[in-house]
Amino acid sequence: MSHRGTLFFLAGALIALGAGWAGFPRVIYRSRPQPVEFSHKVHAEKAGMKCEDCHEIRADGSFAGIPRREKCAGCHEAAMGTTLAEKQFIDGYVTPQREVQWSVYARQPENVYFSHASHVKLAHLECATCHGDHGTSDSLRPYQEDRISGYSRDIWRAMKMNDCVACHRSHGFEKSCLDCHK
Amino acid sequence: MKATRRDLFKFAAGGATGLLLTPAPWRLVTDAALWSENWPGIPKPVRGELRTRFTHCALCPAGCAVKARCVGDQPISLIGLPGKPLCAFGLMGHQLPYHAGRVRQADADAVRAVIAKRAANETVAVLDLRPGRTASWTYRRAMAALPRGVYLAARSSVPAVNLDAVKIILSLGVPVLDGWGTPSNVQQARSHFRLIQAEPAESRTALLADQWLKIRPGTELELVEALATGRGGAGTGLNEKVIASVANELVQAGALFLAAEESPSVLELNRKLGAVGKTIVAQREAPVPRSWKPAPVTPINSVPERSIGVLLIDESAADSYVPWSKLEGKLAPDALVVTFASSQAGYGRQAKHLLPTAVYPESTGDIPPAIDSPLATFRLTTPLVAPPRGVVNPAQFIGGLAAIDAADALRERAGAIHAAGRGSVCTYADGRSIPVEDIQPDQFWKALNDGACWIDEPGGKLLPPVLRASTPAVVALNWEKRAARGPMPPLVSKLYQESNLRVRI
Repeated sequence: MSHRGTLFFLAGALIALGAGWAGFPRVIYRSRPQPVEFSHKVHAEKAGMKCEDCHEIRADGSFAGIPRREKCAGCHEAAMGTTLAEKQFIDGYVTPQREVQWSVYARQPENVYFSHASHVKLAHLECATCHGDHGTSDSLRPYQEDRISGYSRDIWRAMKMNDCVACHRSHGFEKSCLDCHK
Repeated sequence: MKATRRDLFKFAAGGATGLLLTPAPWRLVTDAALWSENWPGIPKPVRGELRTRFTHCALCPAGCAVKARCVGDQPISLIGLPGKPLCAFGLMGHQLPYHAGRVRQADADAVRAVIAKRAANETVAVLDLRPGRTASWTYRRAMAALPRGVYLAARSSVPAVNLDAVKIILSLGVPVLDGWGTPSNVQQARSHFRLIQAEPAESRTALLADQWLKIRPGTELELVEALATGRGGAGTGLNEKVIASVANELVQAGALFLAAEESPSVLELNRKLGAVGKTIVAQREAPVPRSWKPAPVTPINSVPERSIGVLLIDESAADSYVPWSKLEGKLAPDALVVTFASSQAGYGRQAKHLLPTAVYPESTGDIPPAIDSPLATFRLTTPLVAPPRGVVNPAQFIGGLAAIDAADALRERAGAIHAAGRGSVCTYADGRSIPVEDIQPDQFWKALNDGACWIDEPGGKLLPPVLRASTPAVVALNWEKRAARGPMPPLVSKLYQESNLRVRI
């Protein structure tokens, strides 16, 4: 009977651990699928494309971000393969000229300014440094939005302010808040 | 097994302990903080395509070039040009339009009618707190046109400091390295002048000076006398040998003496050191149209007591102030005081009417040459964001009292500068410098509105300034002191204290 209290304590702790690690993310994040199935892997390996072929940095230094429909339609005006995903994309967006409402995993808060040109062209950073293996993924994972803050869950993986600060510090580029903040 | 109350407490304690080892409480704390950033009423930067625009900061006479990142018509951040950083105040300038203490509404038409009625029989005076602008010329023209108009300037004559010719600066508490001149100019010139800072407190300038003379408070003039005559100075707390050593240094060519307070002895010492005409020179103004007939600048001291019936104060871009006690005696018993300002922080407390004005970066105007610019310049502060309805343009309001249309005054002056055919236009977007004679008037005007700066050609002899005993050798204000006289973005103090945003020299 002397371990009775310990058992109750451990039971409470285990239930809380389970709820916190398994249940909480399901509650706090609202999950939604991307509107179009897309494989970076197929585009990179079969089509031999590079990140900047679609996610280009314009001549004036601004970043095009996720390509718009016209960019995709440049290759997919008609089906290039036999996949259902491509057919659905052409029928649902290219032919009726509808813009795809992508959910942007890396979308930063409103008060943040990030220059892709500075990081890619000047600092020669690889895309994977921040975006991980996204460029070789075979499918798009569901977009998870924090119900309280409204931010993407992916920001918390490798694009937190601490990650930026740590990298800037390691390269001796710790200048001022306003380099990144609006 | 029957659970007791003690078991339930242990279960709860275990649950609480376990919860702390999960991301849940920490995520909720962070989320709550992020959620509070998005409360209603907090201005949010808009999303969209970024554009870069250039303008000049109007917050102080330095008029630094500004590169503004804008989304649509909304500036989202201001930065300086490479190698020409902005001060903390300038970096936060785009937040000023949202200041909670801003005055936005007033019945300008009613005020105009009252002034017009009184202007026929009473003395109308304009107090200009940043002379040298095109708006200042409008005030002078308007006062010349009114039957009893008087133009008062907070500073009747401010000389320029030619930093290129300076070898030694002895500064009496002037924040030379902390916002006194144009930060980038001072930064560039710093390598070739020796700075001796005489100041009781260990200011930032004192810390970075080549020599800090820690004098006793209130003994600045005693030090000046000791340096000038070679006698005395014991009250300053400095060793006689130190004073003698500094005095010897100062007689070298190009020594300049800067003082925070106006003083005849400071002026005399500068004359004795040969600084007047060499390092302290007359400030040059950009050409103005010949048709502009201005009223003279009247020193405030020479205005008869109780003579001003209507006092109009342009506080919209103030960089210097006149103590109210000096103005009060000049006012008639029933004088009408109207101030043009964006907040109640200045003369708004004494004025009967406060007419709200646009604030930087909403305002349109030009910036007179900075104190460290011996050459004439003409640069515009072009609005990055539209001003709210209800604000008054002081130049147009005061010009209107004398039937002067000041709406195109800036363009008229740009035309006069172009007609003079001197100098060149520097465009920040491409870093080019084009002689004025090589471009058309419309191109010149467009370049100015796109953030270019006209700089006069360096030819001609630098003339000594017209200095009076009451004229300060310099205006010793840095941005902190200026900001103390008006609203400042709330982030400024935090960033200034906690980050390394201050200009490093």
